[in-house]
Amino acid sequence: MAAAISTTDLTKFYGEHRGVLDVSLDINEGEVFGLLGPNGAGKTTCIRMFLDFIHPTSGSATVLGLDSRKNSVEIRRKVGYLPGDFVTYEKLTAHELLEYFANLRGDNLIRARTLSDRFNLDLTRKIGELSRGNRQKVGLVQAFMSDPELLILDEPTTGLDPLLQQEFHALVLEETKAGKTLFISSHVLSEVEIICDRVGIIREGSLVTVEEVDVLRERALTRVEIEFGDTVSAIDFEGVEGVTDVEVSDHLFTCNVTGSVDSLIKAAAKHTVIKIQSGQPGLEEVFLAYYNSSGGNGESENATAKAKGTSDAA
Amino acid sequence: MLRNVYLKTLRDSKRSILYYSIGSIALGLYVTLFYPTIRDATGFADFLEQLPETLQSIIGDAETYTTAEGFLNAEVFSFMGPMVFGVFAIMAGTAAIAGEEESHTLDQLLANPISRRSVLLQKAGSMMTSMAVLSVALWVGLVGGSKIAGFDLSLTGTTQAIISLYLLGITLGLIALAIGASTGRKGLAGGIAAAVGVVGFLLDTFLSVVDALDPARFISLFYYFNSNDVIINGINPVHFLTLVAIALIAVIISIWRFEGRDLAS
Repeated sequence: MAAAISTTDLTKFYGEHRGVLDVSLDINEGEVFGLLGPNGAGKTTCIRMFLDFIHPTSGSATVLGLDSRKNSVEIRRKVGYLPGDFVTYEKLTAHELLEYFANLRGDNLIRARTLSDRFNLDLTRKIGELSRGNRQKVGLVQAFMSDPELLILDEPTTGLDPLLQQEFHALVLEETKAGKTLFISSHVLSEVEIICDRVGIIREGSLVTVEEVDVLRERALTRVEIEFGDTVSAIDFEGVEGVTDVEVSDHLFTCNVTGSVDSLIKAAAKHTVIKIQSGQPGLEEVFLAYYNSSGGNGESENATAKAKGTSDAA
Repeated sequence: MLRNVYLKTLRDSKRSILYYSIGSIALGLYVTLFYPTIRDATGFADFLEQLPETLQSIIGDAETYTTAEGFLNAEVFSFMGPMVFGVFAIMAGTAAIAGEEESHTLDQLLANPISRRSVLLQKAGSMMTSMAVLSVALWVGLVGGSKIAGFDLSLTGTTQAIISLYLLGITLGLIALAIGASTGRKGLAGGIAAAVGVVGFLLDTFLSVVDALDPARFISLFYYFNSNDVIINGINPVHFLTLVAIALIAVIISIWRFEGRDLAS
């Protein structure tokens, strides 16, 4: 399968300041790829190099087989782009903006209208008067309206309410079925989990790993808290698959689980269970869990401790 | 008006084009309708004659001030005209790239299949078109005013002077564009271009009255614009081509620097 995006040792420095370092990445045609990382990790830097807004310090990138530096206009003809914070001409109405961009692309507005209806977007309002959520909707519509081969979406659901996030996920699914490639950056694991096939984790400018979402999930920690009807002991859960960091106080049991919680549930079922709560692991936990399972060095203990400390917030 | 970057930019500046055009017509009318008063004021030329050369160079040349062309040369083409045209062109040149970049709209524009060079040239073209509208407005004001006031005005002289003024304006605008496209900084672009205009004006005025410094006048854009008193003597081809060359160099620098740098996010 051909690569929709391919980078070789892609590196960007802003003066002395690190952007990204030696990122080598292949994204297949037709896949939904998530680039996951905390803010400032270098996600947007990568995207802006794909679109030639900034030039690599070294290394190279091809997008749809075209060189990001030499064939940028051709690339942008085939790519729909949504930035993290969609800022555009505030004095234009949403309709005028879409008309302008459609003209620049040599397109019509048929698909833009369908998408606007779908996202319940009022096209007569001026961009400057729209709420952040509605502005982001305009951004989504303009990214998808030309039916591009590749969609590059930087934190696409920022500011969208849950209902619209679902609508967006449905749209992504349709695009995938139509054979489109999607490159999505996010700092929220749950989002990429839902829509992506593969995920690359980027941290401090370096690509840490690229994994299938399923593999990542297996390695992910889940924080589980169980309230029992009777007193339990930590010994009852010793040796249960995936369970670590057990803490017991009277009826309350907490632990971290790597991968499936099946074994834990079966072990817990021997007692009377009043309540089970589990937390989505945060991004840092995912990263640390990955680091933990693949590294096994001195930092792993620290990693687990950190994961424990922050899992409630996830 | 949303077909391309050129038309969109004209659309964005339609209001300022309108106001500056009204201003240009008003300037033309004001000066031409005022001229007969000066012409008929006996002794005005004698009064100028007695002034030192330095003051004459600021107020107007004694030999020609009471002729229509000499009067317009002093009142329109020495200060007011360059100021109106310069301010408009510098604002347009600054807004073109640096303005879009500072208001964070440039990324999204360039996410469309259009090259940086094309965006820049269309924006420059839009500025030049707007300036042409201002030029026509000034011409209408001057020629119309002369008809109303009932005096003869050299049409070729006036037209050539306006062409020269137009060229000065777009050169300043393109300098602002070049700095804005090179740095993405609106304040810097406007500041430097305005300084080139203002310092150029002052230098040209004062260098021209100090004989020893007269050869240094060539460093000012104003020297190429009107040291020939275009409305009276016509365009000096060398001066004209020098301004054209400076404008072209500004465009080349704009493209070179704009294509070579990172855009601010």
